[in-house]
Amino acid sequence: MVVLIGLLAGIPAAIACDSPRQMEGFKTCADVAKAESEGTLVVYSTDPEAAAEQELARFHALFPKIRPNYLRLQAGALYARLLAERQGNVYLPDVTQLADMSFALDFQKRGGYMQYVSPEMAAYKPEYKSSPEGYWTWGALVMAAIAYNPNLVSREEAPKTWKDMLDPKWTDAISVKVTISGLQHVEWYMLRQLYGNDFWSQLAPLKPHAFDSYVQQFDRLVNGQDKVALTAQYSGYLMMKAKGAPVEFVIPPDGVVAAPQPWGIVKEAPHPAAAQLFMDWFLSLPGQTGNAEVLLTHSARSDVPPPPGGVSINEFKVLTPTDWHAFEQTHAQFVREWNKITGLR
Amino acid sequence: MNRPRIEVANLAVRYGDVTAVDDIGFDIASGELVTLLGPSGCGKTTTLRAVAGLETPSGGNIRLNGETVYSASERRNVPAEKRGVSMVFQSYAIWPHMTVFDNVAYGLRVRKLPAAEVRENVQRVLGLVQMQAFSDRPASKLSGGQQQRVAVARAIAFSPSVLLFDEPLSNLDAKLRAEMRVELRELQRRLDITSLYVTHDQEEALAISDRVIVMNGGKIEQIGTPEDIYNRPRTRFVADFVGSANLIAGKVRGPGSNGTLLFEAEGGVQLEVVASDASTERDTVALRTSYIHLGSMPGSHNAVPGRIHRRMFHGDFIQYVVDWPAGQLIVRRPPTELFDEGSEVTVSFAPIHCVLL
Amino acid sequence: MRLPAITPRQIVMPLVVLVCGALVIYPIAFLINESLNVGDPSTFPPEQYGFDNFTNLTDDYRALANTLLVSCIATVLAVIFGFLQAWILTRTNIPGRQRLERLMELPYYMTPLIGALAWGVLLGPKTGLVNQAWRSLGAPGDLFNIYSAYGIAWVMALFEGTVAFVMISAAMKSMDPSLEESSRVLGAGKLRTALRITLPLVAPGVLSATIFVFAEMLGSFAAAFVLGIPGRFYVVTTEIWQATLSFPPDYGRAAAMGLSLFGVMLITLTIARFVLKHGTYTTITGKAFRPREMDVGAMRWPLLALAWGYIVVAVILPLGALLLTSFERFATVILPQMHFTLANYQTALQMGSVGPAFVNSLILGVSVSTIGVVVIGVLAWIIYRSRMPGRGAAEYVIMFPQAVPRLVFGLGLLWAWINMPIPIYGTLWLLGLAYFTVFLPLGLRTIASVVLQVDPSLEECARVCGAGWVYQMRTVTMPLLRPGLVAAWLLIFIASVRELGVSIFLMGPNSKVIAPAIVNSWLSSSSELSAAMALIQTATVFIAVAIMFSLARRVSGVTQ
Repeated sequence: MVVLIGLLAGIPAAIACDSPRQMEGFKTCADVAKAESEGTLVVYSTDPEAAAEQELARFHALFPKIRPNYLRLQAGALYARLLAERQGNVYLPDVTQLADMSFALDFQKRGGYMQYVSPEMAAYKPEYKSSPEGYWTWGALVMAAIAYNPNLVSREEAPKTWKDMLDPKWTDAISVKVTISGLQHVEWYMLRQLYGNDFWSQLAPLKPHAFDSYVQQFDRLVNGQDKVALTAQYSGYLMMKAKGAPVEFVIPPDGVVAAPQPWGIVKEAPHPAAAQLFMDWFLSLPGQTGNAEVLLTHSARSDVPPPPGGVSINEFKVLTPTDWHAFEQTHAQFVREWNKITGLR
Repeated sequence: MNRPRIEVANLAVRYGDVTAVDDIGFDIASGELVTLLGPSGCGKTTTLRAVAGLETPSGGNIRLNGETVYSASERRNVPAEKRGVSMVFQSYAIWPHMTVFDNVAYGLRVRKLPAAEVRENVQRVLGLVQMQAFSDRPASKLSGGQQQRVAVARAIAFSPSVLLFDEPLSNLDAKLRAEMRVELRELQRRLDITSLYVTHDQEEALAISDRVIVMNGGKIEQIGTPEDIYNRPRTRFVADFVGSANLIAGKVRGPGSNGTLLFEAEGGVQLEVVASDASTERDTVALRTSYIHLGSMPGSHNAVPGRIHRRMFHGDFIQYVVDWPAGQLIVRRPPTELFDEGSEVTVSFAPIHCVLL
Repeated sequence: MRLPAITPRQIVMPLVVLVCGALVIYPIAFLINESLNVGDPSTFPPEQYGFDNFTNLTDDYRALANTLLVSCIATVLAVIFGFLQAWILTRTNIPGRQRLERLMELPYYMTPLIGALAWGVLLGPKTGLVNQAWRSLGAPGDLFNIYSAYGIAWVMALFEGTVAFVMISAAMKSMDPSLEESSRVLGAGKLRTALRITLPLVAPGVLSATIFVFAEMLGSFAAAFVLGIPGRFYVVTTEIWQATLSFPPDYGRAAAMGLSLFGVMLITLTIARFVLKHGTYTTITGKAFRPREMDVGAMRWPLLALAWGYIVVAVILPLGALLLTSFERFATVILPQMHFTLANYQTALQMGSVGPAFVNSLILGVSVSTIGVVVIGVLAWIIYRSRMPGRGAAEYVIMFPQAVPRLVFGLGLLWAWINMPIPIYGTLWLLGLAYFTVFLPLGLRTIASVVLQVDPSLEECARVCGAGWVYQMRTVTMPLLRPGLVAAWLLIFIASVRELGVSIFLMGPNSKVIAPAIVNSWLSSSSELSAAMALIQTATVFIAVAIMFSLARRVSGVTQ
């Protein structure tokens, strides 16, 4: 059936296996016995360690014979290691999450991913996975818009739309992400598409402060060092809210920016069966639900409930690039402009 | 037995442009204590260290006990630890992290002697330097004099054939120095160890040595017994450096009586002086200050009138500055011979004490 | 003609030098290779070679200017702190000097990153704790905004001040007190004596401290990272960070920047070496100077306050800020918003990766320091005591890792070791080798100062007593170097546990270490969790060091 649709769509046929096995809540094409005999699963990702460990613990609970091993690195360092390892013919990770679509596309181009079509990938819209299918799939969607501290900024003063951010009263009081942030690139790109490049040239004189981590952004909001966070992650907001911190999130009517987190299996994975089994579980309903709970992000699957405390994805107008190649090509320009906006040049 | 223990020939040591030791040679017989004497920078310590193997010479050769330990032509240089010589350092080089016993036992333990023998030897040498009571004390807790004794004990513990001393007493106070030099000499005689000793203190050199090698500017000025060096200096330098001497300028006029020469100094002063075959310059006479009498002297002598200009009491002697026709003379007399400043005296001295350089 | 026998010395000495030299040069060769990459910046090895990466650096002079500005201010501050503390603790008679000297080690236990975080809490604009106190006193604005060039310099100086203190107090302790006494006897007051006599006499020590501190400041990263970027202030190291972690990664540019900084630091280190050579440092002989303290009379109390002040400002305040943060539900400094909890510690201790990471860090710390001090001890002896040809060049080369920014050197190590046929990538062995390589300069510098103080006649005497080279090293040289060896052990141990830049690139899923974990949690989890982890790390290091010291004291007989 899948093959037929594939042929009809003109996409090279990507074959899930003929008879996927039904496990607890998900289907798999992997050789479970072989996966268990491999005994280990190595994951390289940018997700916070505490959260990732919880998610992997759930997998481990289902398959006690497979011991998950996790290494957290920042996106750039992660990619540097992947490339260096490939060049040196050393292969340690089985599965990798690259937080930036540019990295994922580049990795795909270099033949870094194993093509494995999981039966669970059928639940993902074509724009949420690689084409041809099976290289990478969006394992989470990071939503970002605007946040503020209601104790310090009243509801009336608070921005309601993206354009409200251009008000000079926010001078020296805005936080954004640094140039190397993939999320920031997406926001820049999408808001440019919506409002033209004027938007950013008007934002520049407000001298926003750039941060590498959303943790810093939210801390500063809470402490009044910034008044608003532009490029505020929804997951960060939910996390702070759960801790009782005074933060509010603004859902602009024009839409909320979304940056995907592509997951894929490394081609020379040392434990390929375990990797495939994991991908099947991770992309399934239970896997994605768990992921949304621990990371407080949304899933690209429509049947997954929103993260605890958050609103369903359907409440957002999601702004995300459709043509990733075009998006990638704007990168150099983004870097130049963003460096100027954040004071590097 | 007849073979000299230390033989040094054509030794040269150069550091870049600087020549520290310039083609010197000497032999030291078995049981002798020979001192290298000279001012700082004359090359004596460098020579000593070359014999020890702590400096690499630039030329010449060195033989110890008949065996060549350094030879420029043969490209041979036996490392210090294999030469079998022992050394007492100026700073004593007592290892602060060991006890006195361990310090002294070091050389014995290196030679892997059994523990009982080690103990025996250590006790023995500590006894020789009267430091048995300190055997277990940490070495860092010793006074200067005590460290010096331990350094000596350590050096002789393994009965070396040759013992080298690098100004071992220069860090002690004057009284202790005087006592220690006697003890060292006694020890050396008793054990009959061939020794090469370095010092800048000419009094010390004269007191303890069998022979003295006076060095200056990397070269040897004179080798001889202490009496030789003192009474018959061959160069101005030796005359001036060893003991205190008056250097009288003038000219030889002709023969004098009894094999002496007639020497005319300034102011018309005529003296009878003696010369050796080595006298080269013949325009200076060296006269030791303690060989000058104030007052008349019986026998054939030189006598010239003079006047006391200054008097200084030094305790064991009085030093006078005497004006005489040829300038000024320094005279040392026992404290019993007291003259007032300004008084007229006759300076007299024997011809054999006037050495023509 | 007799052929000379090959002695153990002739094998061991060149071997040690060659191995250490190779460890250093190998990654640098890769860096040089990559810096000439003008093709695709993310390929390795490079496809095209050229000098563009270097020529392009000139259009980015602002980062370099910022780096120099911050480094100069920080160096001046650090040397002032170090000098004042050294003078107060070694030359005056304020009470409790011994204890204060011990406490001066404390700032070194804290990672500069954590320190920068803590100072953000204290002096963040508007709501930093200190600024809040300042405002409550009625002042209009902030006392100080830490997110600025001066803020960065302040934090850096507080940490490097301990290094300056150690070096300068060593120089002060070996001063001949009669030189000062003669000044006082001639009628000069204490202040005048301090300025006209003490200062010039310790000038060589101060100068070398200044140069080393400056070299460290040039390559420092953490403070500029935490406090600079948000303040729109970039330095060369944060620019390098940007170049390596962005997409597409510009390794060529990063390598070129790192090597340029390397060039600058080589020059400063050359000057340092020149200065060191021209000093006489022999103090461990029969005679040693015992510095006599100056009685400062009524000034005791202000000076005591000043000395404690440094400890408070450099250690207690930041630790306090961290402590506060670690117990909060969410990090805040605004009193009415504070809620407290133990959850952060619970999470930190329960995290599966934390336990193994701590264990790994401790194992690495102990093994790298222990093996390191022995090898570096021999190396120091070779460079400063022997006459082996090429030892001057060896000293130079060993100092290279100091001059390359850690992040860039980490990249070099990654490329170098991943291409080695030996399968140590991803293991603790690789981390151990990498740590050893980057800590060679630190160890050498520490042990060298003690080597220079040992009177050569102590070793010559051993040789004249018949000891071969190995016997002499074992029975005389190493024991005499003990204070330096112990100090080096301590410094390398702490540095290993704190190490970040190299660990990021070289740790594997089975060889995690603790410092990256703390940084990761700061970047992606929360400040409270990071604060809790940082405090656990500091406490662990503290306890480990205390245990080591009591063990060492029990094992050794003679102290000092």
